[in-house]
Amino acid sequence: MLSAALTIARKDLTLTLGRGSGLVQALLLGLLLVFVFSLSLQPGQRMTPQAAAAVFWMASAFCQVLIFSTLYAHEEVNGQRQGLVLAPAPVQSIWLGKALAGIGMLAAAQALFIPAVIVFLGQNVSALWPLGLGILAIADIGIVAAGSLLGALSQGQSAKESLLSIVLFPLLIPLFLGGIRIGTAVFSGALAEGAQSWFGIALAFDAIFVAAALALFPAVYNAEE
Amino acid sequence: MNSYEWIMYAGIAVWAGLGLYIFTLARRQSALSRRIAQMTRLADEEAAER
Amino acid sequence: MRNFLEKAPCAAPWLALAGGLALAACQWLIFVYAPVESTMGPPQKIFYLHLPLAWWGLISFFVVFLSGIAYIYSRKPVWDALSGAAAEVGLVLAVLAVLTGSIWARHSWGLWWTWDARLTTALVMCFVYAGYLIVRGLDMQPGRKALVCAVVGIVAFLDVPLVFLSARLWSYIHPPSISLEPEMKLTVAACTGAFALLWAGLTLFRFKLALDAQRLDQSAMERLMRRG
Repeated sequence: MLSAALTIARKDLTLTLGRGSGLVQALLLGLLLVFVFSLSLQPGQRMTPQAAAAVFWMASAFCQVLIFSTLYAHEEVNGQRQGLVLAPAPVQSIWLGKALAGIGMLAAAQALFIPAVIVFLGQNVSALWPLGLGILAIADIGIVAAGSLLGALSQGQSAKESLLSIVLFPLLIPLFLGGIRIGTAVFSGALAEGAQSWFGIALAFDAIFVAAALALFPAVYNAEE
Repeated sequence: MNSYEWIMYAGIAVWAGLGLYIFTLARRQSALSRRIAQMTRLADEEAAER
Repeated sequence: MRNFLEKAPCAAPWLALAGGLALAACQWLIFVYAPVESTMGPPQKIFYLHLPLAWWGLISFFVVFLSGIAYIYSRKPVWDALSGAAAEVGLVLAVLAVLTGSIWARHSWGLWWTWDARLTTALVMCFVYAGYLIVRGLDMQPGRKALVCAVVGIVAFLDVPLVFLSARLWSYIHPPSISLEPEMKLTVAACTGAFALLWAGLTLFRFKLALDAQRLDQSAMERLMRRG
């Protein structure tokens, strides 16, 4: 299953990055969000660390909606979905492959969002940055696990991006809350109580959603148009 | 605001909300009844033709 | 089990009637029998509506979760109908729980919203199940729509404990714990029981509507195929 997933991930990344427009749209949306929020500040004013962390995670959330819409749209023409489902690999390898491609693209986008937040929202990075990277990695796993599962269900709908956002965003709230709390600590340098608990919740989220995706993805993704 | 007014507003919210939902259910029931009557009529007409 | 499910909606009017009468009796318990709470005063009595609404909203979502699993396992449309009915009733009750909680918060802390873990969880559940009902309203092939809704319903319920835990960790405002006197406990139990009857009546009635609509669609399809 892993080799099939890696093949699918490589295919999707080649298709998306080869066309150029795939990741660029998602990136631009996130950067625009950061920039638009910076307009709420007076010249010379700095946003609070918590608000800046919240803007970062909102940009990531909207970015990943576009990422998974793009990734699943690859198979919507010429019956390619049928070919993928009929391939001699477990159906879950499609979920895993899309999730791997998604996490690569999301991480690449976030690598640009972080400097944008620092520059436009007037933030500093404290010595707690390893914690920030840790929660980023754990939260991204949960985001792509859920995004890859639910991205498949919104395919074929005319308003697939808004449908995916409506269904996915409330489910990701535990990850967003954890990401914002730890992000606040990274930008402010002050670690609030309960940081370990946030990592625990994020890991629990990842475990639950990966298990749910492995069990439920075959029901969501089949050859029917 | 007097203390009991708060309970009153909460009560108004609950019973108005439930009432509104039951009203929408009743409307859906009427629409279904109309469809059932129409299907029955069509079935009777087909039986008469045969 | 399927025969039971298809016959159960006949009990809906009686359950609703029993629920209505029980709730009427509960008004005496709430306003006469239960004492006034010393810290929060009379508005604390909103709790006797708020708690049952929240509980039965959550139980509705649990029914959506179970019937989603049953549908994926059996692919029988009756489970999809039950899932849709429970989601709708659950959403109504959850919205009312959020409204009453907000009114109570306004009186107690002067704020309409407090990021209290339970209120936040209820609000997130409202959003999730509103999304679920939007998916239900889409123009999709019926079998696929039922599968998609089942998956969303399962995943949404799995998220409930995570949302609750994260909201509890997040919120700084913890509502003062109310120590319930025996009369208050009895009133809460009675109101929860009365709402149980009302919930059952509403859910079964909505379930019956969904089953009837499914049967009508089936008959219309058969008729078209006979003519075509």
